[in-house]
Amino acid sequence: MSADAPVLEIEHVTKEYRKGLRANDDVSLQVSAGEVYGLLGHNGAGKTTLLNQVVGIAKPTAGGIRIGGKDAIAAPEMARRVCSLQPQAQAPLDGVSPREAIELMARIRGAARKRARRRADELIEALDIGEWAGAKGERLSGGVRRLTAFAMAAAEPGRLVMFDEPTNDVDPVRRRVLWGQVRTLAENGCAVLLVTHNVVEAERAVDRLAILDRGRVVAQGAPADLRGDDADRLRLEVTAVDSSVARSLADEFDGADAAVVVGRRMMVAVKADDCSAALSWAQVHQRAGLVDEFSFNPVSLEDIYIRLVGSADGVGDGTVEGGHASLAA
Amino acid sequence: MRHWLRSFGLLLKWNVLRLRTELPIFLAIQTLMSAGIVVGFSLLIPWVDDVAALYLTSGAMTVSLITVGMVMAPQLVAQRKEKGLLDYQRSMPVPRLAMMAADAAVWIVVALPGLAMTLLVSVLRFDLDISVSPLLVPAVLLVSAGTAGVGYCIAYTVKPALVGLITNLVLIVALMFAPINYPAERLPGWAADVHQWLPFQYMAQAVRETIDASGAGIAVLPFVVLAAWAALGLMVTSRVMTRRA
Repeated sequence: MSADAPVLEIEHVTKEYRKGLRANDDVSLQVSAGEVYGLLGHNGAGKTTLLNQVVGIAKPTAGGIRIGGKDAIAAPEMARRVCSLQPQAQAPLDGVSPREAIELMARIRGAARKRARRRADELIEALDIGEWAGAKGERLSGGVRRLTAFAMAAAEPGRLVMFDEPTNDVDPVRRRVLWGQVRTLAENGCAVLLVTHNVVEAERAVDRLAILDRGRVVAQGAPADLRGDDADRLRLEVTAVDSSVARSLADEFDGADAAVVVGRRMMVAVKADDCSAALSWAQVHQRAGLVDEFSFNPVSLEDIYIRLVGSADGVGDGTVEGGHASLAA
Repeated sequence: MRHWLRSFGLLLKWNVLRLRTELPIFLAIQTLMSAGIVVGFSLLIPWVDDVAALYLTSGAMTVSLITVGMVMAPQLVAQRKEKGLLDYQRSMPVPRLAMMAADAAVWIVVALPGLAMTLLVSVLRFDLDISVSPLLVPAVLLVSAGTAGVGYCIAYTVKPALVGLITNLVLIVALMFAPINYPAERLPGWAADVHQWLPFQYMAQAVRETIDASGAGIAVLPFVVLAAWAALGLMVTSRVMTRRA
């Protein structure tokens, strides 16, 4: 990581809409050159709003945003030129092919004709979308459109690149390639800020991250730092016969942490020393026919995420299950 | 300025690529329509004298520019708005006015062959004696800028679902209730007064006087009014586009 001043500095940014809704609440974070920074959070946690403020589509109610040391709030046009963004919104690909769109966007971002062409070729090959490179946008699948939009932002990235849910609709194999390209951008000296709610993928892809919940940063740091006390813990995951049994098992389990229940699964972090007792507990319940199966795994970022924001208020559950779906994929 | 021009050029290229399959059709239909309006007028009004012929010819040219700038262009923007594409555009590192100019440029090009066709058909059909002034070029550009300015203003400030309705209303007013195809004296006094403030009659006057250069002369007022309307429309549009939520 570079010891230079951070490329992006977000300082105490609060964004309040007229109806009193706080989309961002005192958010501070910094992204340096060569670093991949992840923003995690549920739908509506304020991730996209934060990116929109960086590129001057929205204006913070309070706080400061600096890109390369310059005030981005006072100069939104400067911010858009220095920073390339893959918005969550669809890219305007109707009538143009992925190759044309990537080249044009690179040139709009300042690349010379030759470089734009070379970068388009590189990215099309790397993302393995050559088959559709010449097809008109309206004929492309959602995944290929998303990959094209990614390449449009990555072709001539500027000092700061931001991706908003870049892997939505993308197949698992190309997702890995895409994360590889994100890493390459950082290695080439870009500061990368990416928004995702795919915790499992983020854990592998980012250097540092912030978890947002209802507009606030509830945790921040490297994935290993966030694990903190959990580094010497294992996660016990129990699949009960039904959800009510899962809930009663969670109440019954006597551990250092409270257990979390999602559907008929119960998850809890267990200290390494307590594992043998937890193993016996699980075996007893399995023999009694209350538990279908159970497993012990290292505590993942996802567990921490669920503990921090995956509250049982109903909002959390969908994302939690989404996260597991991608784990299973 | 270099950044502006570069952005304009690349966005224009993007627009041309995007519309490459439709552009020939747009051009053909626009050109046929321009000829058709003149022929249609002559069927509607069998006995056309020289003055009426001049009004109908310049009126047909003005109406085709209005169709392009105040109907086609805003409807396309409304479509993009509905698809959520404007959010993407707003994040692009290009000056907002370059974006609008690149859009408008395509539509002006679409309208140009139609204007020539109108003149040609009028000369043949009405035996019209025209004398085109070089000022026709700035007149057409100003009329286009005025229609595009107002058209974009409608597109960006009104809900997409209403844009179609409003542009149709504009077209009906332009065709029937504006002193474009006939002199303002034929309108009721109050309507003529209202048109003193609207751009339509000045659009028609600028075109009419520049294709009849041997006539009474070319007034400056329409150019000034059109420039003001274009500036106003573009200012409002640019404000809406750069406004931060």
